[in-house]
Formats: sequence, structure tokens, C-alpha cells
Amino acid sequence: MSALAPKIPPVSRRDFLKSGAAGTASLVIGFYWGTSPRAANAANDAAKDFAPNAYIEIHPNGEIRLIAARSEMGQGVRTSMLMILAEELDADWSRIKVEQAVATSEMKYGDMTTGGSESVRSSWDPLRQAGAAARDMLISAAAETWGVPKDECSAIGGSVIEHKKTSRRMEYGALVSKAATLPVPKDVPLKDSKDYRILGTAKPRVDGGHIVIGEAHYGIDTKVPGMLFAVVARPAVFGARVKKFDGTRAQASPGVKKVVEVPAVEMPPLFGEERPANSGHQHYLWGGVAVVADSTWQAITGRKELKIDWDLGAGAEESSEKQRAACAEMVKGAGKELRRIGDPAKAFDGAAKKIEAEYELPFVAHTTMEPPNCTADVRDGKCEVWAPTQNSGGMATALASALGIPPSAITIHITLLGGGFGRRLNIDYGVEAALISKAAGAPVKVIWTREDDVRHDFYRPMSHHRLRAGIDSQNQVTSWMHHIAAPTTDGMFVGGDIPDTGGTEIAGTGLSGGTIPNYLLESSFLHTAVPRGYWRGVDSTWNHFAVQSFIDEIAAATGKDPLELRRELIATKSKPEAGAGDQSPADVARLRRVLDLAAEKAGWGTPLPKGRGRGIAGLAGWGTYISYVAEVTVANDGTVKVDRVVCAIDCGQVINPDMVKAQVEGGLVFGLTAALFDEITIEDGQTQQSNFNNYPMMRIGDMPRVEVHLVPSHESPGGCGEPPVPSIAPAVANAIFAATGKRLRRLPFQTQELAKA
Amino acid sequence: MESISITVNGKAQSVEVTPDTSLLWVLRDTLGLTGTKFGCGMALCGACTVHVDGEATRSCTTRISAVAGRNITTIEGLSPDGHHPVQVAWIDEQVAQCGYCQVGMIMTTAALLAKNVNPTDGDIDEALGGHICRCGTYQRIRAAVHEAATKKAAKPVAAGATR
Repeated sequence: MSALAPKIPPVSRRDFLKSGAAGTASLVIGFYWGTSPRAANAANDAAKDFAPNAYIEIHPNGEIRLIAARSEMGQGVRTSMLMILAEELDADWSRIKVEQAVATSEMKYGDMTTGGSESVRSSWDPLRQAGAAARDMLISAAAETWGVPKDECSAIGGSVIEHKKTSRRMEYGALVSKAATLPVPKDVPLKDSKDYRILGTAKPRVDGGHIVIGEAHYGIDTKVPGMLFAVVARPAVFGARVKKFDGTRAQASPGVKKVVEVPAVEMPPLFGEERPANSGHQHYLWGGVAVVADSTWQAITGRKELKIDWDLGAGAEESSEKQRAACAEMVKGAGKELRRIGDPAKAFDGAAKKIEAEYELPFVAHTTMEPPNCTADVRDGKCEVWAPTQNSGGMATALASALGIPPSAITIHITLLGGGFGRRLNIDYGVEAALISKAAGAPVKVIWTREDDVRHDFYRPMSHHRLRAGIDSQNQVTSWMHHIAAPTTDGMFVGGDIPDTGGTEIAGTGLSGGTIPNYLLESSFLHTAVPRGYWRGVDSTWNHFAVQSFIDEIAAATGKDPLELRRELIATKSKPEAGAGDQSPADVARLRRVLDLAAEKAGWGTPLPKGRGRGIAGLAGWGTYISYVAEVTVANDGTVKVDRVVCAIDCGQVINPDMVKAQVEGGLVFGLTAALFDEITIEDGQTQQSNFNNYPMMRIGDMPRVEVHLVPSHESPGGCGEPPVPSIAPAVANAIFAATGKRLRRLPFQTQELAKA
Repeated sequence: MESISITVNGKAQSVEVTPDTSLLWVLRDTLGLTGTKFGCGMALCGACTVHVDGEATRSCTTRISAVAGRNITTIEGLSPDGHHPVQVAWIDEQVAQCGYCQVGMIMTTAALLAKNVNPTDGDIDEALGGHICRCGTYQRIRAAVHEAATKKAAKPVAAGATR
């Protein structure tokens, strides 16, 4: 997922922090918080004129406010960011609040993209440095007030400074007016992890209370005076366009105010990337016909009366059957070489034992529980939207482009997100709502039905993998070849060949050891009109399934224990390979530790009754190390029940152990749902699934017992949103093999193949 | 359009809608009670669950004409202070992630516990099997239902706590 894993630019310390007194005598610390190339440019501009993109405000009444530029979608980012700040600031936890920053095209708050399991990682240093600077200023203010040396004063937690010798204490609120007059100190030492009071504790989510009383406001709950409601008829065939339509009957339907055509528009790349001319990208809003009414129900009812002729385009020829056949054919030959070590083909040809297997994964949808929706008010040359979005920056750019108005005329209010999972990195639903509001001349809330969502997603790409391994006479793996055939995701938005991958995304292919002397990774590119997008865990979810399944196939063929073989393959540190996720280099010792810990806690190697089996898989990625041992029962009819999953995770310094566990439980369910059930299939260029009846989800009765073991660590925090997703599918596939001796190489698991005759 | 009388959270109301309008959209768009969520429109996910005369009911597939004169309780009316034992247990167990589906889960659980004071895991799976949580909070939901049952046994909620 190269688009979401930009190089983090260094920000000059000189310009990192700045204080200022707000209208009242509050202490306001502005700081710089940037992660993307776009933000890097802003940082360069800011070298002369410092423009902070995040603020801490400490008010005389003792309240502390963080204005933060990340979206809350259930990962608990508002809580974890506050915990990092409160720790270094020694703040009173009950009086510190987070406020959602509003997005504009001017990027006042920098890059606000929330994805790539980056929020905590990109917040860790800036928040701590800002908190430490503010604390230092408050200590200085207290020392001045008391007329005592500064080094005799300390912050003791709970927003209190103490002078121990004289037992004097002052609260932050009483110190802010003096502190605000002081210069912002540079290079304040950060706390030692042994002194943490807040980090590593299970603080409850700051927004949990609103959720249980129905007062958490998601995008779909937006209310704007004079607002109308709309649904859109979009082309069922990917890439099709409206030829002509008759909205007469829809217009006559009760409550319908207007029937408007949504024009097809070209969309910019999602993350501000450069797009080469004639790149062949496929990032378009394909348009449709909107029915605008007094209520959602009336809009849905009116839409049924539309008559639309579509210009179908070439996409209508596509089918899953053809796509699968094309990929299967491509992996037979040579692909574009992406990584080579030694002479893998020669080593394979001369191997004492040859192992080959092919794996297949389908397109899958995000199906956030809150379907896509957006409320837009485009009037008088201005655009205001209320959007559940992970990517307000990309949305603002696309709105300016689609509406032909300057960036300064755009405001995006980021609501709570009823799930994100990467779907809301896309900006289609925002641009569409704005075009409809403009045409209707009124604020409009556009709601997607579940059918709209399932049929018009940006799907996790399908893929086909051919793996080959050569084993020498010493029973060692001497050759490994992996050919991936898949459509690209990055290429969909940017176009052309993606320089670093040559067509398909490769995260999750690494073995994190580099012990195999002959290695080849190659890819072939499937052209398709089916839209692709970033799906929680991204390319690691497909590549890692193939790799971790194949390791177990080698184990079976060489008579080795799957855990032992993994230990062998990651035994040396000589050449660590790129891990999953953002492909940061892996520390093989940490990966080995989580494999061992999960195995130990799961009772790896102890016998299980007939029909049951255990499987293991683990990955390094997003700065985190995670391993699962899954236990399954396979019934005589082939039904697979996942009984128990033991997880070991090393995500560096834990911000909040309960939230890490929640991310593991949730990521595991996300990955397991896809492994057991999910498949988007295409026929005549259209998605065949539509709702949860034919695109099923895991439910409470399918939930395994999950145990999560955290590895204590004070390394920098790793991401936690995506790492729990990829390993569960191969862990379960490996457990099914252990239980039955049958290898399932296609997702979702074709469990009918396990039925006993 | 017809005038249809319903009682929502103890308050008698009259709404002007076509009789086939789904209760969900009357609650959300006409009455502004957005605590009840839209998830699928086909009674497949449970996000829209409300109580109709105390029974957990999918509002998305319930026509407004079918509930004329009936008592409807939404999350906004489940408890006067947000401290229904189920709501408290949900916080204690830190169930919610994105939180979108949780209102429906809470409404079904409240209806379950009104009839079954000590549900087994099997009872819970059956009652909540019609619900979907995409964030995968199921393990915590089960724990929270048990905890709510314990809380409720310790401190019974007065009948008619619905406001």
C-alpha cells in the first residue's frame, strides 16, 4: 500500500512548537504533525512562517483540549491520542478532551488521512514533544510564582505542579496565564517509560458513553436546516454511463422534489500523488441519476420509478470465471520480475524435492455498518460537507476539482465513522453528494442503501498465486518462487505501472528472514473495470495467505513441524526482508518471539481429539509483530468451526492494552469473515451480491474464544488496526489441514471439499 | 399521505406519511430520532432494532401502518438517564468500537433480559444471532449480556422506566 506509507519527513525542531495566548489567558501550544508528502511540502513552506496543524489548549479553568486531525472509526484514536498527550503533560485525565479538526482544502490541519495503521505511530513523537514542552512551561511558571528553583518543582500528575520542600501545589489552570508568556523550550527530555502513569493502562474509550445512549453522531445522523434526502441510481455495470433517462414517474412519486442527473467526472488521485499524463487510471465518478425527496424512504421509493438507458461499455464483458481463468493462465508463464536472489529456477530444477501449489482469493467488499453517505450544501460558490471520511484531504481536492471552486470555498466536517476499514479513504460519495446538492440548490443528505454499498464498492482485489519451492537432499528449502496475478489498487487511482511493484502490490510476500538462497517474486497484471480499493490489511491479506499456507505445505512435505519450519526460515538476521503492511524491515527476533509465545499459550504440540486441529501463522508489518494459533473442529459434513484463537502481539509500547485487544478481536473477525464467507463475484460486468443475505458476515455464534497476549515492550508503538487481519485466514487453513489432511487453497474456504463421503 | 398515530418513548405522536413507509425512516427522518440506525433495510443486521410493545423489532421492515397505536421504544427512551443495566454493562465491558451497530444490540439485549433473567451463551447467540457487528465485538457483547443480567438481578429496573 505504497500510497499510504509515505516517507515521514523530518520536521525542523526549531519550528516544531510554538505557543500563543488565545483571546483569553489560555496556554495554547501549536505543533506540527505531518506524515505525507503533501504535509511535507507544507512543512517546507512553514520553515519561514510556522503554521501549526495541531493545537493543545490549556484553559484557566483547568480544561485541556487537543484539536486533532484524525478520524475516529472505532479504533479508539481519540482516546489513544489523548493518552499519549496526557502522559507527557501529566494531565488530569478527567479534564482533557479531544476535538475533531475541520478540514479545508487549505490543509490548515495538514494531512488528516486516517489509514495505514498510522495514527498512533505518526502521533507518538509530536504529541509527546508538545506535551513535554507544555509541562515544562507550567513547571517554569510555578517556579517563578513561588520564587524557587525550577529543578525543585515537578509535575506530579493530575494537572498539578508541586514544590516538595515547601509542600506547595498549584493546578495547571492557575498557571496558564504566566506560562503563556514564556518561550517554548526546546528539546525537553521525554519521560522514561518506567514513570508512565497513563500509558499502558486500560482507560475507557472517551466516546463510549455517547454510543450506548444513541447520541454518537455518525455521518448518516447529520441534520442541516432545509436538508433534503437523496438516493442515486448508479450504473450496475462497472464503467457504464447514463445514455438517457426518463424521470417523469419518479418525479411524480410522493415527496420527490427533484430528479437530477449526476455527471460522470474524472477524479484526482486519493492522496495528492502525481499522476502521469495518459496514465490509464480508472478513477472516475461514473455518474447516475439522483432522486431528491423529503425523506429517505420517499427517495428510495421514487428511485424504483426511474427508467434509465445505460451505455454499458467494455466492462459488461467481464465475469469472475473469465478473470479467474486469465489469472490462472498468467501464472503459468513468466511475470514481471520484482525481486530476485540467486538463481531460483536453476535451484528448483535441480532440487531433490519439488513442491508446487496455487492459491486464489476473490474480490471482497468493506460493508461498513454505516453505509456510505454524505450531506452536502453547495450554494453561492461555497461547499460545506459533513462526511464520515478517512480522507478529508483527498475529498477536498476532489470537491474543488469537480465543482470548479477554489479550495478556500470548501469546508469538511468530519463526523464519527460507523466503520472505515479503508472504504472511506475513497471520496466518491462526497463528490457525488456535492454535485447533487449543487443541482438541487439545497443541502442534501445522500444515503447509500446496503445494495448500493455492496454493488459499488472499491473492492479488495482478487488474486491468484503460484508458489514453487525446491528442497535439497538435506531437507532444506533452497528455492522459493512466487508469481502473483492480480489487478492493482494503486494503479486504479494513479494509473500506469506502479514503479515499486510493477503492477501488483507485494506486501506480505516477505518471509522476514532471507534464509532461502534462491528467491523470485514476479507479478502479472489483470486488467479489469472492477473498482479496487484499500481494504483493512490491504495486500498483506492476499499475499500472506498464500505464503503462510505454502510454508505449511512445505512442512508437510518435509516432515517438519510448522512452527519449527517457521523458526528455521526466520533463523538468521543476516538479511531481514520487508515485512507486511508498509514493508518496514522486520526484526526477526521479535517475530520469532510472538510465534513462540502464541504456540506456548495455545499448547502447541499437545494432542487434540479427532476432527480437530491447530494451525499457526504470524507476520511482521506496520511496525508490529503478531501471531495466531487457531484451533478448529471440522464436522463430517465439512462444516468448519473455529473454536479458539490464541494471539501473541508485540506492538511496541502499548498505549492502551484493552484497545489493542479490541483491535485484535476485531481484526481477527474481519479476516475470518472473509476467509469463511466473503466473495464478490462478477457476471456481465456486475456484482452479483447485494446485501447480507448473499454477502454474509460472521455473527455472534461464529465467534471463537479469543485470548490475546501482549509482549511487554518500550519500542516505538506499532500500528494495531491492520496487523490483526492477514494471519487469521492462513492460521485457520493450516488448522483445517491439521484436522483433516486436506489443504484448502481458495478463499472463502470451499468447505464442501472437506465433507466425508 | 395519511395521518398515523404512534406512541414513541411514551409520547403520543401523529405523523403524515404514506402507510407503507418503514418505521425506521419515520423515526430517523420525520421524528429526528437518529439513535436507531440503518444497516441493511432487509432485517438482516439488527442495527435498526427498537421495541414495539416491549418486543425487539426490526424497524426497517416494519410498516408504519402496522404499528399505529402501538408503543415504540427507541434507544433514546430505553432509560431516563442512560443507566439501563445493559447500557452500564456495555461501558463496563468496553464493547463498542465504531459503535454503529451497538444500539440495536443493546435494544435486543434489553428485550431478552426482560424475559430471560439469566440467559446462557446459547440463549445469547440465538437472541443476537440476527445482528451484525463488522468491528467484531462479539466476545465482549456476550460478556456484557451476562454482566447486565447480573446487574439486573442485583438491582431490578422498575417497570415503566421507559420515559
